Amino acid sequence: MALPRRHAIQVVALVILLFFTAFFFVPMIWLFLAPTKTDGQLLTQSPFAFGSFHTLAQTFHRVVTYSGHSVLTWLKNSAIYSFGGTALAVVAAIPAGYGLALTQFIGRRLLLSITLVVMIMPATALVLPLFLEINKLGLYGTIWSLILPFGFFPFGVYLAYIYFSSTIPRDLLAAARIDGAGEWAVFRYIALPLARPIVSLVGFFAFVASWNNFFLPFVMTYDSSQYPLQVGLQQLIGSTASFNPANFSAGSSIVVLHRPDLAMAVIVAIAPVLIVFLFAQRALVSGMLAGATKE
Amino acid sequence: MATVTFDGATRIYPKTEQAAVDALDLEVDDGELLVLVGPSGCGKTTTLRMLAGLEHVDEGSIRIDGKDVVDLAPRDRDIAMVFQNYALYPHMNVAQNMGFALRMAGVAKAEIDERVRAAAKILEIEGYLERKPRQLSGGQRQRVAMGRAIVRQPRVFLMDEPLSNLDAKLRVATRAEIAALQRNLGVTTLYVTHDQVEAMTMGDRVAVMKDGLLQQCDTPRVLYEDPVNAFVAGFIGSPPMNLVAGVVESGGVRLGSTLLRVADGVPSPPGAAVTVGLRPESLFLAPAAEGIPATVSIVEELGAEAFVYAQLVSATGAGNGLNVKGNIIARVEPSTAPRNGEVIHLGVKEGSLLFFDAESGDRIRRRGE
Amino acid sequence: MTVPAAAAVPDGRASARRGNWAAGKREHPLAGSSRTAGYFFVAIYVALLALLGIAPVVYAIYLALSNSGGFGSSFVNAFNDYRFLPAFEHILEFMGLWLVSQTILVVGLTLMLHNLAQRVGAVFRFLFYIPGALAGAASVIVWLFMLDPSASPFAFVLHWFGYAQFNNTIAPGNLPAIFAIMAFWTGAGGWIVVMYGALNNIPHELLESAQIDGANAFKTALFIKLPLIRKWVVYMLVLSFAGGTQLFVEPTVLGSAALGVGVSKYWSPNQLAWFVASQYDNFNEAAAISVVLLVLGLAIAAVLVWRGRLFEAE
Repeated sequence: MALPRRHAIQVVALVILLFFTAFFFVPMIWLFLAPTKTDGQLLTQSPFAFGSFHTLAQTFHRVVTYSGHSVLTWLKNSAIYSFGGTALAVVAAIPAGYGLALTQFIGRRLLLSITLVVMIMPATALVLPLFLEINKLGLYGTIWSLILPFGFFPFGVYLAYIYFSSTIPRDLLAAARIDGAGEWAVFRYIALPLARPIVSLVGFFAFVASWNNFFLPFVMTYDSSQYPLQVGLQQLIGSTASFNPANFSAGSSIVVLHRPDLAMAVIVAIAPVLIVFLFAQRALVSGMLAGATKE
Repeated sequence: MATVTFDGATRIYPKTEQAAVDALDLEVDDGELLVLVGPSGCGKTTTLRMLAGLEHVDEGSIRIDGKDVVDLAPRDRDIAMVFQNYALYPHMNVAQNMGFALRMAGVAKAEIDERVRAAAKILEIEGYLERKPRQLSGGQRQRVAMGRAIVRQPRVFLMDEPLSNLDAKLRVATRAEIAALQRNLGVTTLYVTHDQVEAMTMGDRVAVMKDGLLQQCDTPRVLYEDPVNAFVAGFIGSPPMNLVAGVVESGGVRLGSTLLRVADGVPSPPGAAVTVGLRPESLFLAPAAEGIPATVSIVEELGAEAFVYAQLVSATGAGNGLNVKGNIIARVEPSTAPRNGEVIHLGVKEGSLLFFDAESGDRIRRRGE
Repeated sequence: MTVPAAAAVPDGRASARRGNWAAGKREHPLAGSSRTAGYFFVAIYVALLALLGIAPVVYAIYLALSNSGGFGSSFVNAFNDYRFLPAFEHILEFMGLWLVSQTILVVGLTLMLHNLAQRVGAVFRFLFYIPGALAGAASVIVWLFMLDPSASPFAFVLHWFGYAQFNNTIAPGNLPAIFAIMAFWTGAGGWIVVMYGALNNIPHELLESAQIDGANAFKTALFIKLPLIRKWVVYMLVLSFAGGTQLFVEPTVLGSAALGVGVSKYWSPNQLAWFVASQYDNFNEAAAISVVLLVLGLAIAAVLVWRGRLFEAE
């Protein structure tokens, strides 16, 4: 019984889509179910079985108390670096985007071009040069070695530039100038209140970029007490029995973690970003694709 | 109260050859409403923005009350402007919009409130003071934009096509209101529009511009009756003046094969090429063999009057890009309106003919004109 | 991978186009503004740019060139390092797999999604996009689990390939493919959102007229949609290439779960640079390697900015 060709193609397309849905989403489901099981249950039960809340609580407890509450320290560090960097990025990028879009000065086009180049260039290309420079400046090991580079966010400047040059009618600024506003007042009372959407968008992207950054803090921190979560996670792998059995020879004093604990730590590490992804998704995508949405 | 003087004011945009505004000389009297009118790209808006300080003045000067303002920032010129798209601050409510200039000037809050309220009363928008611009209709926004201007009590009002975003009916009502308001307040006003009807109905005087050059500035009546060139003649009046190519002969002007008799003297020596200007309202349906023969294309019946669009049988239209095909429009009584395709004969009312140089378009004045 | 950054680019394009409209047809952009106020607004950013964007580059170049062994000797040392070429071979192999599969799959999946009803497509896009939240070490750890035959929900696939244990899966020969899967998993969703946005920029009338002209969904995708989003495909490819050369997180984190087997500490060039800096304090050679990578990234970015006409820089 031959299906019409049209239907056959649709079926194939659906199968492909479902396959990739599984590819993208099964790891997420697995990750969130893993902490509800013990390491043994992880091997014996179906990957999609739910363990128990009791086990989840135990897993959580083990992760939080690991090595003198290290995870909490890392969480705090991540927060300091990311919020510090994000605040600096917003404070620098919003006026800069405004300046590039709506004011006039010698070197404006050059600055715009450099911004674009640095924005497209992979940020990781700057990590080692930054390490060398920060070392030279004696900032190595301080929070500034992370907050300053996180605050340097050309992509945010570009976003703000596009926003200001496209959504603020120039007559609005002209009206304010005629109404007696000086350059600062035009920015403060007209442009800035209208820039609220872009402030949150730049802030969000800066936060995600800082929070998820691994390479830079990996290079800039040397002690567990300075790690952000991303780097801390790597240390946790070293303490996970199934991935590094060699570390756990008899009598070793290292605290042993198991796979569910590691999954729990990953969830803690990604939670802030994931929450923004989930709840601000509409705003994010519309921000990313303003004007490009299908009716 | 103020006068405004443009003295050879010139604006040349970067990377362009031709001046957007070319050596403009213009005087706006105290309390006058002067309308700048012309086709798009004629430089009228640039002129306005030069006065506002939003556009650089490359040459010449602009004076308010005799004081050169060319080097002053917009905020130091004591002017208010109504923009085409109103440029209302979207994040502020109506009262905040109207009070913004006073706030910038450091006026006390109580006084701001009082003045905003007074202005809102004049414009009948007291009910909307708490609303944001996006919650208002087009007509209401227009009023807020006006309110923002009058609340400041500036020396000069600038208005850049303030009615062009309104629908036709509202536009007619609002233009009368603005004109009345301006006369009540007595504030010197420069008003830009591309609509000659708006210009004629509102302006104390009207300045007609084309290609950055001022063509003529005078009262609406003078512009209509005594235009200085074919452009002004063709621009002012609705429907526009008919411009037809002709050759001067003794006793008249020949339009194609028809000789149009001119009783009060020909403009130029015989043989000269001229453009003849005929107002639609100066034409009438004449008996056959007397007038200019034309074939009717379309008749527009407007109730009180009818417009006949016709093609001259033997004449060609004027040069200068105006009326190349010899089209002619005549206003007639609806009861006598001809049918499509009919050949009619058009007579010309005594003394209503205007003549223009066929090359330059300049008016050729006869003795006594 | 810097997907959030990349993902937002069409926004710029689209809204900038709208912007020209919004700003009105007349050209009087900076009317009435002061000529010096601009410096004030960009000041903080310019300071950061100078200190953290330009100075490190200059300093790295200086370090790379100022070796006691003579001008340029750091580069010679780097090129002669026995680990240098293998590191580049590794990332080339990784990028070959990753770029080809990502290009085909992102374009294919986006075209498929674009044929679905708007709401259904949105659900799929959301599901594909979510792993983007797990950039960095977190996504590597998730894939540690996925590649562990004893715990993975994909264990049956691993068993097909004959991998019974974790260290079977992460055998050195598999690493480029593993890193390609990781990069695709976190990055593809963002790119699909980007491509979908680009497809939505195609006017409805165009697709409808293709239908009337007799093209079916497949032919419309092939002959109308694909050519119109081609520049975004090129853009994705170039940007991914630039990002791929910088590979660091994946091999580093995977290396810490090595079970004693070998993910070397200098698998990728960035790792090698860090290795010589941190293990031997050889900052000159580290600088030389990072300058090579930097020049690669800079060159690609410069070509995109000045030749690509993808960005709205007026």
